Amino acid sequence: MNKLLNVLGIATCGGAIALSLSVSSAQAQEWPTDDVRLVVPYAPGGTTDVLSRSVADLLQDELDTNVVVENRPGAGSTVATGRLARGGRGNDHTILMASPGHTIGAAIYPNLAYDPVEDFVFIQNMIDIPNVMVVPADSPYDNVSEFVEAAKEENMTFSHSGVGSSIHMSGELFKTLTETNMTAVPFSGSGAALPALLGGDVDVSFENMPTVYSHIQSGDLKALAVTSAERSEYLPDVPTLNEIGEYNLDQFTTTAWFGLIANETFPEEAVVVMQEALQEVMEREEFTDFVDQLGAQKGTLAGDEFKAFIADEVARWDEVAAEAGIRQE
Amino acid sequence: METITEVLQLFLAPENFLAIAVGVIVGVTVGSIPGLTATMAVALALPFTFSMEPVAAILLLIGIYKGGMYGGSITAILIRTPGSPASACTLLDGYPMAQQGEAKKALKMALYSSVIADFISNIALIFFAAYLAKIALNFGAPEFFWLICFSLTIIISLASGSMIKGLIAALLGILLSLVGLDSVFGSQRLTFGNYNLMDSISFIPLLIGLFAIPEIIEFYRKKVVPHLRAKASGAGISFSELKGSLTSIIRGSLIGVMIGAIPGTGATAAAFISYSDAKRRSPHPERFGKGEVEGVAASEAGNNGVAGATLIPLLSLGIPGDVITAIILGAFMVHGLTPGPIMFQENLPLIYALFLGIMMSSVILLFVGNAAIRYFSLIAEIPKSILFPIVLMFCVYGAYAVNNNTFDVWLMLAFGVMGYVFNRTGIPTAPFLIGFILGPMFEDNLRRSLLIGSNDLSVFVRGPITWFFIALTVGSISLALYRFISSRNKAKQSANETKAGV
Repeated sequence: MNKLLNVLGIATCGGAIALSLSVSSAQAQEWPTDDVRLVVPYAPGGTTDVLSRSVADLLQDELDTNVVVENRPGAGSTVATGRLARGGRGNDHTILMASPGHTIGAAIYPNLAYDPVEDFVFIQNMIDIPNVMVVPADSPYDNVSEFVEAAKEENMTFSHSGVGSSIHMSGELFKTLTETNMTAVPFSGSGAALPALLGGDVDVSFENMPTVYSHIQSGDLKALAVTSAERSEYLPDVPTLNEIGEYNLDQFTTTAWFGLIANETFPEEAVVVMQEALQEVMEREEFTDFVDQLGAQKGTLAGDEFKAFIADEVARWDEVAAEAGIRQE
Repeated sequence: METITEVLQLFLAPENFLAIAVGVIVGVTVGSIPGLTATMAVALALPFTFSMEPVAAILLLIGIYKGGMYGGSITAILIRTPGSPASACTLLDGYPMAQQGEAKKALKMALYSSVIADFISNIALIFFAAYLAKIALNFGAPEFFWLICFSLTIIISLASGSMIKGLIAALLGILLSLVGLDSVFGSQRLTFGNYNLMDSISFIPLLIGLFAIPEIIEFYRKKVVPHLRAKASGAGISFSELKGSLTSIIRGSLIGVMIGAIPGTGATAAAFISYSDAKRRSPHPERFGKGEVEGVAASEAGNNGVAGATLIPLLSLGIPGDVITAIILGAFMVHGLTPGPIMFQENLPLIYALFLGIMMSSVILLFVGNAAIRYFSLIAEIPKSILFPIVLMFCVYGAYAVNNNTFDVWLMLAFGVMGYVFNRTGIPTAPFLIGFILGPMFEDNLRRSLLIGSNDLSVFVRGPITWFFIALTVGSISLALYRFISSRNKAKQSANETKAGV
């Protein structure tokens, strides 16, 4: 029976792809009246992308409509976010998977055409992921203190997945707080950045947990610290940066948050429908498994609380961007 | 023995075969429609795979990938509109062949070449994955930089005719590739404050405009209504013709494998490098670009050679080399599998079952492709007065569909005008595309190398891989110079002889 279902599933898949490429779903009475477009402001393959695709899959069961994932990478996440803010046709069915790039982008590009807080509705924070400070397996540094001491003497390089990513900014924050010499080396996406770290071309990275977790387990990378306030249950032996207790690192807490936002004109009714559907999604076993797989935690913030958190984040990255001198005038 | 039984159990499930077949059919169809790429189809199919068994799920996605890689060549050959970026190179010779009434031959050659390259690529994946992955990891920014330098020297051969015109085209391509955001500082370059240009110029509208539109303008510009008798789509390909191109196909496949195994290069570059390589080695390079069947063979071998090889860094290191493999990585993760060395220890039967399925996909591609050719080649027999309005519609739709953005339609039309000017003035399009594709890779890896080496230039000669590619680059330039000088001497000599004769 199971096999038969599988066979049917594959057969319908072909037809469904053809359909979703050309025809939008039939009109219904209440929101959603059309396919929901989930914009991923990054290239495929990163955490935002994998998460969005998983959420989209579960969400279309709850909403009973197609949820189409669309990748629109560029300039941190500001290209896609700007497009969302400028509005236009079809915005009442467009949601965006925002992440630290949303608040960091606002800090790096002060002349953005949108307000990162006021121009959006904040629907639901889906997950929080710590970043991990990782070095190649054959790196001479076994802990944060050794690394910082060395970085005060010689220049270190850190890889990141693009200007304004949380990985980039974590590196800049670390550099500013510890007053060390570090050079950022940009790559287009974590997928491209990882070989440079594994091959030892760069000294360190502050990668998202899911990107490096399997490489830490296999021993190809050494985890020196996690960036969250608490230790991660997935890497219980790895200290938080706060625990280091020196080099101003007690001020270093960041998690990569991922949440759904929409244009401020997004219908109120739709926000309610979405929040209810997302609560269901977050309780599904598949989602729980997925969160475990990423080494993440489920998000708790929604609506106004989520918005207040974003406002705080914007203020904080603004300071870092100014101090690190990476603001684009 | 236990493993073999387990592998066969995993592989022989009927849904696997169905998954591959559906995947290849969807891939060929979607790939052949301009603006709908295999990448989009794979992304759309991903959610459907969540409820499937892991082997069938991955094979479905791989089937789409491989089908799409071939499908793009169909419209490239028939209507000069590349269905996907990687097939842009195929049209350089494929479309002239179709115009000369040899559409079927071009399509068949593209198919056989694709299948052979696919097969070679799979073999490389199955037997040399661990070894190639190790090389790929040693391929940092400086190695990449030299690889691109070498590729650029090969491409000199693409500038047929006037070297000055070739240079103009290549530099224009590089200039346009600069549009967008700076990769190191994030500052805007040549965007003129236009929001749509921050994401850089979209490749698909550029391709559609550059190739399809000039044909249409040319057709309507001619006052005399051309002869409307439809040309036959011609015969297929003979064994001896296939054999004649076999060297180019194998070389192209190997180029594809090397490029596919290194994360972040892509099939389009592989196709152009393989094409230029075949042209350079051909005894009659002047025929390339005018309907040389070997050109079709080489470019399709190049882009399909990439398909299996991109799975090498994915399966053995857990690193996605391009957009599609990134999505396939997502599919693995959803099924609780993490590609990388650990998967080879813990899920070996599953990997072998996948390998069998991947080999199977080459065979299915052969059948699906042959069926597709039978029907698609009829397009070549449609009178142009009917065909071209439909093509124009597809151009507009295709340019729009990539980002759902009308700006891209205007961009496509602008490139159409540029392509027309290119055609009238004899500026070649191939160097332009190469500049556009390799320019950013050249820049990014140069700057990355300098950052990694803290501005110490010795990073560019840091190991055997860099030495190897420096040697190739120097050799390639010397060869080109030697040919240039000796041909000039010959020309002088013959001019002198003519003078003496007078």
